Amino acid sequence: MITTALTFDELSTLMKQAAGVTVDARELEKAPDAPFTTLGLDSLGLLGIVGELENRYGVALPTDAERCKTPGEFVDLVNHTLRTGV
Amino acid sequence: MSTERPRRAVVTGIGVIAPNGLRADAYWKSVREGLGVLDRITREGCEDLPLKVAGEVRGFDPSDLIEEPFLVQTDRFSHYAMAAAQLALDDAGLVHDGPEEPFSIGVVTAAGSGGGEFGQRELQKLWGQGSKFVGPYQSIAWFYAASTGQISIRSGLKGPCGVVASDEAGGLDAIAHAARGVRRGTGAVLVGAAEAPLAPYSMVCQLGYPELSTVEDPDRAYRPFTSAACGFVPAEGGAMLVVEEESRARDRGAAVRAVVAGHGATFTGASRWEESREGLARAIRVALDEAGCAPEEVDVVFADALGVPEADRAEALAIADALGAHATRVAVTAPKAGIGRAYCGAPVLDTAAAVFAMEHGVVPPTPNVFDICHDLDLVMSRARPAELRTALVLSRGLMGSNAALVVRRGDESAR
Repeated sequence: MITTALTFDELSTLMKQAAGVTVDARELEKAPDAPFTTLGLDSLGLLGIVGELENRYGVALPTDAERCKTPGEFVDLVNHTLRTGV
Repeated sequence: MSTERPRRAVVTGIGVIAPNGLRADAYWKSVREGLGVLDRITREGCEDLPLKVAGEVRGFDPSDLIEEPFLVQTDRFSHYAMAAAQLALDDAGLVHDGPEEPFSIGVVTAAGSGGGEFGQRELQKLWGQGSKFVGPYQSIAWFYAASTGQISIRSGLKGPCGVVASDEAGGLDAIAHAARGVRRGTGAVLVGAAEAPLAPYSMVCQLGYPELSTVEDPDRAYRPFTSAACGFVPAEGGAMLVVEEESRARDRGAAVRAVVAGHGATFTGASRWEESREGLARAIRVALDEAGCAPEEVDVVFADALGVPEADRAEALAIADALGAHATRVAVTAPKAGIGRAYCGAPVLDTAAAVFAMEHGVVPPTPNVFDICHDLDLVMSRARPAELRTALVLSRGLMGSNAALVVRRGDESAR
């Protein structure tokens, strides 16, 4: 069973890698409800992060993942899927 | 209100990313000196291909000018275009922290091949690892329109935008398209082209062109109008111009650097160089006519200069057909012999050089060319001082498009 969980540190790294957006992980942690769009991440950027996570963990994330508006919402949804498999 | 002067399209800004200069002034200095920068291709993955010499853009760090998210999403050809666009806007003093009138400014680029390097990388992931490994930006990075879209988004320019896909000569057609837009009511258009043809897949695509020079000596690989002409070498980079409505430019105190006065375009078929004579001559006549310019008024011709004997002959004859007796007297030059042909970017670079040439009163020389076998007054070896009021820029594409653009010196008032 998968024991890993997506952290804000990893999300910050993925945002940089997949979309060229530089955001400090602490900032994401402090304001998890700040919208991705105001952080500079567009929908294609989030789609790229979803693809990267699916390849990394070998699981399919729900289509809602790419529709998440905020880092908090996204991390919760991804970790829920990793824990429960759905 | 018929006394109102017609709207004129003028050049107020120039941005260049070229093998011989990463700013417009650096490019012009090199062109004026007639420096040749053709060299062995050093790009990764290109070492074993039979094309050995090109004009490479070196020492370019796109992050100096462009934010990381825009770089991640785009191919090298858009990196060049976005950087040149920013430099052109800076030069024109048009936009810094967001334009006041975003709907009055449009973007038009010409593109010959799109983002080959980005596309190759993602297609390798597709066939190497599977569809889930293809990044989403593949959907926007590799197609012709990418640079126009990204420049528009990045600079917040919401006026009429477009992409001209009409072969190499499309660089001139794009400038004409921008000028028409300005005459019809658009305040300004950021227009030009930049290409990135030096990547493995892109290079393989070019190997099929019979006009491509595979000569390995950089000084001998591209020598248009000579008896040793053996084809052309490609280059990367290009230029962007701010083409603006004249009174708008004057009202905000911008320098009017040149007037886009006339344009003509024709099509005569892929690699049918003999037939390009008639097509190019016709394009020149149409451009002169639109500019209200007599053949004798042309002070300098920036030649297409393909470097293929048959094509060079056709161009020399086309100039003679269109300019008559003036053809043997007018100064002709081909700066691209020193930097290569950046496909759609090439005629825009030539247009930039034409503006500088008129401003500085000097015809730049044709690098690597010392003895020609056509009846033209080709400027060689060193720049020639001359009073230049009108320049004619010519371009032909490998697929058969021909275009001519007439630009006039900026301080000339309406005739």
